[in-house]
Amino acid sequence: MNQLVNPELKQELLKYGLKEWNDCFHCGNCTAICSLTEQGFLFPRKGIRALQLGLKQSLAGSTDPWLCYYCGECTETCPRDANPAELMMSIRRYLTKVYDWTGLAGLFYRSKLALFIGFILVLIAVIAVGYVKHFETEALMKFGHLFEQLVILAVFGLILLPNIFHMFWLTIVKQKVKAPISAYITGIWHLIWNVFTQNRSLKCETGSFRWFEHFLIVIGYISLLFVTVFLNWFSTTNTIIIWLGYIVGGIVFVFTFHFIIGRLNKKREVTKYSHPSDWLFVIWLFLLGFTAFIVRVLIDTNLIDNNLWLYIIHLIVIAQWGILLVPFGKWTHFLYRSFAIYFAYLKKSALKRQGAI
Amino acid sequence: MGENLLTAVYFCGISNEHAEIIDIAEVAAYTKTISLVGEIWHQKDFPVIDPDEVAAKIRGDGIKRIVITGYQPGMFKSFFTKAMVQAGNDPGDVFLACFGEFGAYKRADTERAKAILACAIYGVSFEEAASPEEVDTSLDTLVIGGGIAGIQASLEIANGNQKVYLVERTGTIGGHMAMFDKTFPTLDCAACILTPKMVEVGQHPNIDLMTYCEVKDVTGEPGNYKVKILQKARRVDLATCIGCGTCSEKCPRKAVSEFDADTTLRKAIYIPFPQAVPNKYLIDADNCTYVENGKCGVCAKVCPVPDCINLDEQDELVEVTVGNIIVATGFKVFDAKRIERYGYGKYPNVVTSLEFERLVNAAGPTSGDITFRTQDKKKNWIFAPEGNKPKSIALIHCIGSRDENYHKYCSKVCCMYSLKLAHLVKEKLPDAEVYEYYIDMRSFGKGYQEFYERIKNEGVNIIRGRTAKIDQDGDKLLLRSEDIVGDRLIEQSVDMAILAVGLEPREDTTEIGEMLGISIDSDGWFNEVNYVSDPVDTFTGGITVAGVCQGPKDIPDTVAQASAAASRVLQSILKGKIRKSIKELSLESIEKRAKELSIIMEGQL
Repeated sequence: MNQLVNPELKQELLKYGLKEWNDCFHCGNCTAICSLTEQGFLFPRKGIRALQLGLKQSLAGSTDPWLCYYCGECTETCPRDANPAELMMSIRRYLTKVYDWTGLAGLFYRSKLALFIGFILVLIAVIAVGYVKHFETEALMKFGHLFEQLVILAVFGLILLPNIFHMFWLTIVKQKVKAPISAYITGIWHLIWNVFTQNRSLKCETGSFRWFEHFLIVIGYISLLFVTVFLNWFSTTNTIIIWLGYIVGGIVFVFTFHFIIGRLNKKREVTKYSHPSDWLFVIWLFLLGFTAFIVRVLIDTNLIDNNLWLYIIHLIVIAQWGILLVPFGKWTHFLYRSFAIYFAYLKKSALKRQGAI
Repeated sequence: MGENLLTAVYFCGISNEHAEIIDIAEVAAYTKTISLVGEIWHQKDFPVIDPDEVAAKIRGDGIKRIVITGYQPGMFKSFFTKAMVQAGNDPGDVFLACFGEFGAYKRADTERAKAILACAIYGVSFEEAASPEEVDTSLDTLVIGGGIAGIQASLEIANGNQKVYLVERTGTIGGHMAMFDKTFPTLDCAACILTPKMVEVGQHPNIDLMTYCEVKDVTGEPGNYKVKILQKARRVDLATCIGCGTCSEKCPRKAVSEFDADTTLRKAIYIPFPQAVPNKYLIDADNCTYVENGKCGVCAKVCPVPDCINLDEQDELVEVTVGNIIVATGFKVFDAKRIERYGYGKYPNVVTSLEFERLVNAAGPTSGDITFRTQDKKKNWIFAPEGNKPKSIALIHCIGSRDENYHKYCSKVCCMYSLKLAHLVKEKLPDAEVYEYYIDMRSFGKGYQEFYERIKNEGVNIIRGRTAKIDQDGDKLLLRSEDIVGDRLIEQSVDMAILAVGLEPREDTTEIGEMLGISIDSDGWFNEVNYVSDPVDTFTGGITVAGVCQGPKDIPDTVAQASAAASRVLQSILKGKIRKSIKELSLESIEKRAKELSIIMEGQL
């Protein structure tokens, strides 16, 4: 494929957490040490190459960065200290911007100020809503519940779904991947299975505990979403639902707390380098589980009316999470990675059909 | 006159927080005492060097010369040259005073740093200004290390009719080269080149060969070094031993053979290898039953020469006086066990290149047959002639070299010796598949690139991509690598893998450096005065370096450097005079000389 070299690509990636691109001398150690690479899916080295040469289209059309789960083995064994694992992470942040049609993802990654203003605006909006509702518990909770459903619909329908299509366009259509129709159907099972389990990461050197922890967070988070939004946890009187909510809320805040501690300790390769977006993601996920838990405790102890401010905080956290972090922040890695695995499956089927692998 | 050249000194990139590095505050304070110096600038005051801004400063202060100093002053030269031009001055008046270039690295070298800077301020070269006086010298020379470098240097001097003491730590001279089968790129037999030289050393009337000896202490000064040499107890009389081998035959104790790179066993009384010089036996006290508990002595009983074996012999200290010392202590190979993912030490068929050199050597443990490691009765993994032959062999380059986690430097010889080994495999096992995994093929040197082309044409699969790991898969080894040129992932199954281990300084390099008063670079090799223009002298008068102990190099370079070192020694012997150490020159004398030189230079213009 002919494409123009874009010398500014490296400069642009610097804004997404990239530190250095020039250390790599292309020995191929990183690709070979990675347990997830296979014929036709050679990373991280080829990604570094595309970056160094400024091959913007190749980079944007590659699913490879999403196939990496950041075990850090490439960085540990890299003879040049080029840190390929973190480089892949920076490329993922950049890709999030590439897919996003609104341009906000890129803006928030590049500018801390913009992100800060966004957070403040959402905070003001939530307080304003509280003011309009005269700070009445029932009215506010009713609003909160409706708001959650609307945000989910809007974020998925207007932002994430078009982004996924954009990603499909860049990685499959523009790259001229000719996969058989059957692969599109069989791949769906792959997609669903990976969304929930992310079991590919079990192949990584970091072992099964990291996978298990991540798996519990994903399941906990999805269940918490389900319990609060569809089972209306805060207004229900059903004991089973109440307890279910407590359990999943507890899981989310306990494990995210552990994630935060890990990032503070920096003992493992995966937790050594934290971009602001990584911090925001784990901290807000933690706050989400934690505030939900507290609010329900207050409801059960009939203290909520006197402590409505806590519910408002919860609402602020939810609104910031739902409006800013889910569509434009690190949350999207959950979605893009799952779809990347689907698209990679298509690419693999196409390569197989060509007899290339 | 020089006094008119108002000078600004720019200190780059260093803070005083490190206790180990040169004390910049002290150097700066000293600089102020030189009348030429008008301004002192520190990098911290110049976050960005803007030539326009600097030019304005130069004009404002009437500065005519700029000296940039620090560990890497060259980085800033272009900015200041530009500024000088803009200010209408001579761009040639930007001088560099690089601490490291003349051996000032640590805090203890602060005086040296001052002298380097003073010379630059006067616009004269340090080498010229710091020229020490000459004193009478003893005509004898000490050579430390009996590898090819030590042998070559000793012969050069001895053939000039001068006395040489050649001190070797092990029981024989020959060093690493004696272990090799062939030399690249000519594929000459290493022994055929080396052994005649070894014999010449052994028989030379001017060489006092001291094997199984260690230099313990060096005192005195250039031209008159008093050297204490420890003659370790050999327990076999060199003069009377006839080398019949009866003792070794009957000896009940075994130990690993250093000469065979620990791949075979030898007896506790042994001769390192059949062509050893001196060709006499010695006892390895660490593995001798008699030395341990006094309950053996078989060797002494069976020895046909009376009183030849003296099991109770003690170490002895010998003292010699020499004028010059050549350091040729060599290297050791990188310990491949440090990189666990290659499985060396865990999988028997992962071998190092040095082990393979012995294996493929016609005088080696298998008479040159390439076989797998086998286990002897006591479960030791050894090379033995009865082992099976591999059908596929992989060579992996850059083990421990060019790796930030181990050694950053390129070991310089591995590419070429790997190609040579690939050739030897093809020669001995024509049907075997050979795979070579490299990062960059460094075939510099006369005939080297041609050698590479030749090996490619011999059907060796040469793949660009570093193997990341080796796993055992049944009897086979599984290598995982990226073929960068072929754009694919290779999972290669082979019978044997050879790790092309790099070269590293010996463990006792620091100790020897301290004993001789010579400095060591950041990689651990001995420092020369100037890598480009003075590659054999050290900052200590009368002490020269040769061979790999100064930095990785191949045999031709080692031989050349050894001859160069010998020529330096012969120079002083012919004159009967030797230069004292630069490091002993006082700062005042260097500064005074620099000032004089600058006045002379001024007069010449």
